[in-house]
Amino acid sequence: MFPGNVLSIEDLSVQAMEEIFQRAAYYKSEDRGVAFSALKGKNIVLSFWEPSTRTRVSFELAVQKLGGTVLDLRPEQNSEKKGESLEDTVKTLRSLGADALIFRHGAPGLFGRISRTVDLPLISGGEGCYQHPTQTLLDIFTMKEAGIVLSGLEVVIAGDILHSRVARSHLLALPAFGARVTLVGPPALLPRELVPPGLNYTYSFDDVLARGGVLYLLRVQMERHRRFFSSPGEYAALYGLNEKRLALLNNETFVMHPGPVNLGVELSTGALHILEANCPDKVLIQKQVRNGVYVRMAVLDLLLSGRMV
Amino acid sequence: MELLFRGGILYDPAAGWAGPAEILIKGDRVEAVAGSLGKVDLPVIDLRGKIVLPGLVDMHAHLREPGEEGKETIADGCAAAVAGGFTSLACMPNTYPPADNKTVVSYIRERARRTGLARVYPVGAISKGLEGKELSNMWELASEGVKGFSDDGRPVMDGGLMLRAMQFASSLQLPIISHCEDLSIAEDGVVHAGPTGYQMGLPVIRPAAEAAMIARDLLLQEEVGGKLHLAHISSQKSVAMLKWAAERGVPFTAEVTPHHLFLTEEAAKEFFSDAKMNPPLREIEDQKALQKALQKDLIGVVATDHAPHRPQDKENDFLSAPFGVVGLETALPLVITRLLCQELISWERVVEILSLTPARILNIPGGTLAPGSAADLVVIDPQEERPVEKENFYSRGRNTPFQGWVLKGFPILTMVGGDIKMLAGKVKGFSPDFPALINESLLKESL
Repeated sequence: MFPGNVLSIEDLSVQAMEEIFQRAAYYKSEDRGVAFSALKGKNIVLSFWEPSTRTRVSFELAVQKLGGTVLDLRPEQNSEKKGESLEDTVKTLRSLGADALIFRHGAPGLFGRISRTVDLPLISGGEGCYQHPTQTLLDIFTMKEAGIVLSGLEVVIAGDILHSRVARSHLLALPAFGARVTLVGPPALLPRELVPPGLNYTYSFDDVLARGGVLYLLRVQMERHRRFFSSPGEYAALYGLNEKRLALLNNETFVMHPGPVNLGVELSTGALHILEANCPDKVLIQKQVRNGVYVRMAVLDLLLSGRMV
Repeated sequence: MELLFRGGILYDPAAGWAGPAEILIKGDRVEAVAGSLGKVDLPVIDLRGKIVLPGLVDMHAHLREPGEEGKETIADGCAAAVAGGFTSLACMPNTYPPADNKTVVSYIRERARRTGLARVYPVGAISKGLEGKELSNMWELASEGVKGFSDDGRPVMDGGLMLRAMQFASSLQLPIISHCEDLSIAEDGVVHAGPTGYQMGLPVIRPAAEAAMIARDLLLQEEVGGKLHLAHISSQKSVAMLKWAAERGVPFTAEVTPHHLFLTEEAAKEFFSDAKMNPPLREIEDQKALQKALQKDLIGVVATDHAPHRPQDKENDFLSAPFGVVGLETALPLVITRLLCQELISWERVVEILSLTPARILNIPGGTLAPGSAADLVVIDPQEERPVEKENFYSRGRNTPFQGWVLKGFPILTMVGGDIKMLAGKVKGFSPDFPALINESLLKESL
C-alpha cells in the first residue's frame, strides 16, 4: 500500500519508489502540454514556510499538469498571527475541502505530529535539516534515466552534510538500491556520528574524485555557515569542484547538484563550463530540475489514488 | 500524632539500621526505634511485608511558582512530591520573577507552608536575574533561608563571576549547585550529538559542553574550597572529570537524574518532545557510566530535575518545545525497579542517594529516622507492580518519557513531620476521599 504521507524517505519501500519512477517516466513520455486528469477536482494546498523556488514551482506545475487546483497558503497571510496553531490551520484546510498539503518548514517533526491527528495527506517539500524525500526520488529517477545502474554504484556526497536534508534522505534511499555511499566534507559539517554504520566518510575531497560513479555536490548553506568556516573562499579551496580538481575527476563521473548552485563555492564557474562543454551528458543538474515535475506528479497521483503497489 | 509503626523493614544507614523495626512517632519527631518496644497503648500501624525508609529528599525540582502557574504550582508540586515519597525538596530559582531576592524566596516558603505537604527549600539565584552578569545578594538570600545557590537552567558562563560566587557561598557555608554547560560549545543545541539526534537533523549539544564546564568548576573549587554540587551529570566524559577530581582530592558532590540513568537518546526518536531535556539523553555507554558512578559514589545523589510543562508547549515542534520532564512521581520506583531489583545497589544505597546525601548537602532535616529526627518517612510495598500512568499524576506536568513503564516500589504512605500526607496514593487536602481521621482500622484496610 502506498503510504498516507510522504514525510521521510523511510515512508517509502523500494517497491513504492519503483512505482513512482515508472509513473514519472509515463508522465514524462506522455507530457504534451495537455493536462492529465488524475487530480481533477482535487485541491492541493502549498504551504512553504522557508524560501524555495524550484521545489515550490515544480510542485505547483505538477498539480496543474494533473488537472488539480493549487491553493496557496502563504504563511504571512494565514491565521498564525491570530494565534491559531498550525494544527488548527491544517484541520481547517481539511474541512474546507483540501485533498493534500505540500509543505516546507524549518522545524522538523512539526508536520509529522500534525499527521497523527489530522486526516489529510501530507507531502514534505523539505523539512529543516531533516528530510527532503521528493528531491531524493527525483535524483534517483534522474540517475536511472541516465542509464546509471544503482546496484554497486559509487556515490560521493560532498559538502555541507550537517545541514543537508537532501543528504539525510539519500543516506536512507541509496543504500536500499545497493549504491555505495561515501560522504566527504569539512569536519565541522560532517560529524562522524551522522555517518550510518557501513558507510564511508573522508575529509579529503581530492581522495574521492577518481572514484567515478556519481559525484553529488550539496549546496553550501551560506545562510547557516556562520562559524563553520571563515569565508566561502576557504571552503572552496578545500571542497570546491574547480578546474584544478577536474584533472583529478574520473571522466566517467556524473555530476549532480540539488540546486541552487553557489557558483564559486562548491562548484566553480570555470569547472561547470568545462564539464558542460566537454561532457554535457555527465552533468545532470538541469535534468534533475526538469524531472522534479514528473516525479512529483507521480507522488501526488499515487498518494491520492492510494493504489496498491 | 502519636503512633507506632510495627513489622516493617527499616533501612537507615545513618543510624546503622537494616532490619525489622518498631518506630515510635511522637509529635513531629521520631521518639524511638527498636527491634521491639514492648506493649504500647498507642495506635499501631502494621507494616508486615513493607519497607520503611527515611523520607526522600529531592534537591533539584522546578516548582514554577511564582510566574508559571500553568505549568505547576507549589501546591501541586508538593502533592506530586509526597505522592512520590519525597518529604523535602529544593526548588530552583528560575521562576518569574526569579528567586534572586528575599521577597520571592519568602513567597515560595509561605506558599509551601500553607500547602503543608512537603518541606520546601528554595535555592537562591547565583546572579541577579539569572543573567550571569552580577552576583545576587547572596547574604540576603541566605538570611531568608535559601539552602544553596544556582542559576540552574543556564550556566554561569563567566568564570570570574563563578569564582566569586563560590567564594561568597563558602563564607555562608552553602553549596553552589552548578548547571554545567558551556554555551559557546552547546550553542542552540536541543539533542545529544549522537546518531539519533543527527539523523533527525537537529542541532546538538555535545558531551564536551558539559564536561568542559565541569572541569572549570572543579578547578575553581580546588582553589576556593566550599561546597560545590554538580547538577544533572549526563555523560561518561563528565564522569571522567569527576574521577579525575576525586583522585586529586577536590571536594565535590554530584547528582544524576532517573532519565539519564535509564534512557538514551533513542527515547527522543520521531521527535518525541517528552524526551527533550537539557542536558539531553545520551548513549548507552553514558548510561552505563552514570550507573557505575552512582554505585561507586562518584555521584552521590539522584535528583529528579522535575520540570513540568503545559502539554500545549510540549506539543510544539521539537525545536521550540521547552526542555524538561517531570520526575517526582516516578523517581523512586525507577530506582527500585532498575537499580535495586537488578541488584546494582542495596536498600541502604537507595536511602543514601535519595535521602541522606542530599539532606546533608543541603544541611536540612531528614535522611535518617534516628530518635530525635524529624518524623519524615516513606513506606513502600515491594510486591506491588503497576504501570506509570501520567493521567493520574498530581503534578500539573504530564511530560514524562516513562509513560506505561511497569514498575515496582511505588510508595504507599508518606509522612512529613509526624503527619500522614499520602496514603495509598491519596494526598491530604487533594484527594476528596483522603480520610478525615486516620485510625488503626482504616490503616489496616488501606495498606
